[in-house]
Amino acid sequence: MAVSSDVRDILELESRPEHEYVTKESLMNDNKKKKVKKQDHGTFKRPEGMARELWGLLWTDNKDPPPIFPSDSNQGYKQLKAKIGSSKVRPWKWMPFTNPARKDGAVFHHWRKVADEGKDYPFARFNKTVDVPVYSDLEYQQHLHDEGWTRQETDHLFDLSKRFDVRFITVHDRWDKQRYRQRSVEDLKERYYSVCNTLTKVRAPQGSEPKVKGFDAEHERRRKSQLIKLFDRTHEQCEEEEYLINELKKIDMRKKEREKKAQDLQKLITAADSNVDARKTERKATKKKITPQMKFKEGGANPEPGGIKFPDFKQSGVSLRSQRMKLPASIGQKKMKAIEQVLEELGIEFNPMPTEEMVQHFNELRQDIVLLYELKLALASCEYDQQMLRHRFDTLNPNSKTITPLPTTLPAPSPHLGSGGTTTAHTPAVSSLPSTMPGSSMIEEEEDSLMSAPGSPEIEPSLGTIGDEIIDDPALNRKKTGDIDVVGTPQRKRKAAMEQINLLKKMKQKV
Amino acid sequence: MADGGQRIKGLTIIKPIVYGNVARYFGKKREEDGHTHQWTIYLKPYRNEDMSAYVKKVHLKLHESYPNHNRVIMKPPYEVTETGWGEFEVIIKIYFNDPNERPVTIYHLLKLFQSETDIMLGKKSLVAEYYDELVFQDPTSAMQQMLSNVRPICVGAYKHETDFEEKKEKTLGNIQAAQKKIRYEISELNDRLKAAKEGNAKLKAEIAKLEAEERAEADIVL
Repeated sequence: MAVSSDVRDILELESRPEHEYVTKESLMNDNKKKKVKKQDHGTFKRPEGMARELWGLLWTDNKDPPPIFPSDSNQGYKQLKAKIGSSKVRPWKWMPFTNPARKDGAVFHHWRKVADEGKDYPFARFNKTVDVPVYSDLEYQQHLHDEGWTRQETDHLFDLSKRFDVRFITVHDRWDKQRYRQRSVEDLKERYYSVCNTLTKVRAPQGSEPKVKGFDAEHERRRKSQLIKLFDRTHEQCEEEEYLINELKKIDMRKKEREKKAQDLQKLITAADSNVDARKTERKATKKKITPQMKFKEGGANPEPGGIKFPDFKQSGVSLRSQRMKLPASIGQKKMKAIEQVLEELGIEFNPMPTEEMVQHFNELRQDIVLLYELKLALASCEYDQQMLRHRFDTLNPNSKTITPLPTTLPAPSPHLGSGGTTTAHTPAVSSLPSTMPGSSMIEEEEDSLMSAPGSPEIEPSLGTIGDEIIDDPALNRKKTGDIDVVGTPQRKRKAAMEQINLLKKMKQKV
Repeated sequence: MADGGQRIKGLTIIKPIVYGNVARYFGKKREEDGHTHQWTIYLKPYRNEDMSAYVKKVHLKLHESYPNHNRVIMKPPYEVTETGWGEFEVIIKIYFNDPNERPVTIYHLLKLFQSETDIMLGKKSLVAEYYDELVFQDPTSAMQQMLSNVRPICVGAYKHETDFEEKKEKTLGNIQAAQKKIRYEISELNDRLKAAKEGNAKLKAEIAKLEAEERAEADIVL
């Protein structure tokens, strides 16, 4: 077909109707198939014996497939190739045209479809003009007088605005700098809009609310100066800023964490309180009712705040008793480790004989261990907080060394306390304090003594002690060694705290 | 089982069991197949009773390298004796006579080796057995019948390799002692925590005061 049309083309035989130029439809071939398809419908009849409902489903399905997702089904894969050679291209012609947006009636030439001959230049509609208001002498004298602007200058501004369609950047560029003084774009805009607004107000009929163009020159100036500042930053400044922002984020995060911890702390304390009394009474009760068979198991026994939640076995059916000792997966690796460690220290096997009594006691024990673990964590964070606060206190109050009595860290009561984490003594941490901390070395020393002092309330520095009365008891230092750290080393935390304070200072200075 | 399908709410029946394996070292590697141990894996009641009253069958799933590794045992004793050279996990599945009860699965690591030399020499067989309890929560009335009407298997003393009673007493004592210890530590720690909290609050108040003062001073300077 293509060949024959080519031959006809060469021989200039006009065998096809004129209108068969290439169009989108002819390229994509999509109008023909629809007709064919339609004829199929309605010709099927319901086969004998087929349920009406089923037929209804099938038939309506065929007729009107429910759209699941948008698709362009009428093309399929059949006719992806455009049939370009099959019909003639539309003719184009080199023709003159005038642009109605121009006032001078200049004539240019361009290529254009023959079909479009005689139509307007299509791009003319993009030539938008702005109505620049014109004021009379009287209006200017009455309303538009401004100290900073002369009449000539205002005229010049409006003239330029008209010429460049209120493109202020261009206006600013073409501003007559010889005759008039240099003005910023904002100055120009401010004057222009104030004149416009005054005019609309003056000209508006009585009682009507004229529309005023809003322009806040001050705001614009500030905005631009800010942008310029932002643009003018050096690379180092950018880096520093980024660093500071990151640090601020970290500080905020830590703060939030600590706040959350403080909330949990109260819960924990109440849990520990209730735990101790509740258990005592309960144990007495359980001892009496131990009979091997025909017994109700009070699943979970008591609600455990802070501890482990063992699943309730209330469901009917057979199960193994040992299943009730299984730690729930929700407890997490760290706690699991802690439990194992404590059990090992206590010399208790991880899977004791699962009798009812044993399971109950074993579960309670592990709940207690978790509670203990959590208490330790809480205490560690509490102590960390205290160090932070003390720093703050010292920086605020470097001269008068007023110290509030603080009953805190008692020496660890038993070796099992080490279960929570690494066991490190306090002494090395304290002695290797970074010397960059704010304040004098005196404070540092004092802190040392304080770190150790809390264990012994009888040597507490009294309120209002002056700096030279620092207590440095070797016995206290010895005590420190006995104190076992539960979670992380205090040194690291102290360093972090120090850094944080320095940073905050820096930021304050910046602001 | 006309009306045996009804579950008796609130009733719990406990059947203690013992499962595990014994193993004996040949003393050397066997020539034909390289096996080194003979072992027996078993499931038996803790008390002297006939478990077939309520147990339909016991599935013992051995390592796949054994011929016919799914062993089904319909009648007690529920045990399998084999030879081998390696340890593996045996899956013990207990099916019950009551079709309402789902089977219970126990996992047991077959144990062959122990560092003690006398066992290595084949003098004494190794025992790895565990106590557990089958807890029948709300059994059907039919099941209750089966569970309560059990006969002893043999006359005379019925003994286990391990003295579970003694072990129980010991472990329980340990746990209770540990509980006491931990509880003591909890209360101790709790007191410390409270003290620390109070101290922090005091310090905070002090700081707030100082800050306020500083601000006031700054205002005066300004």
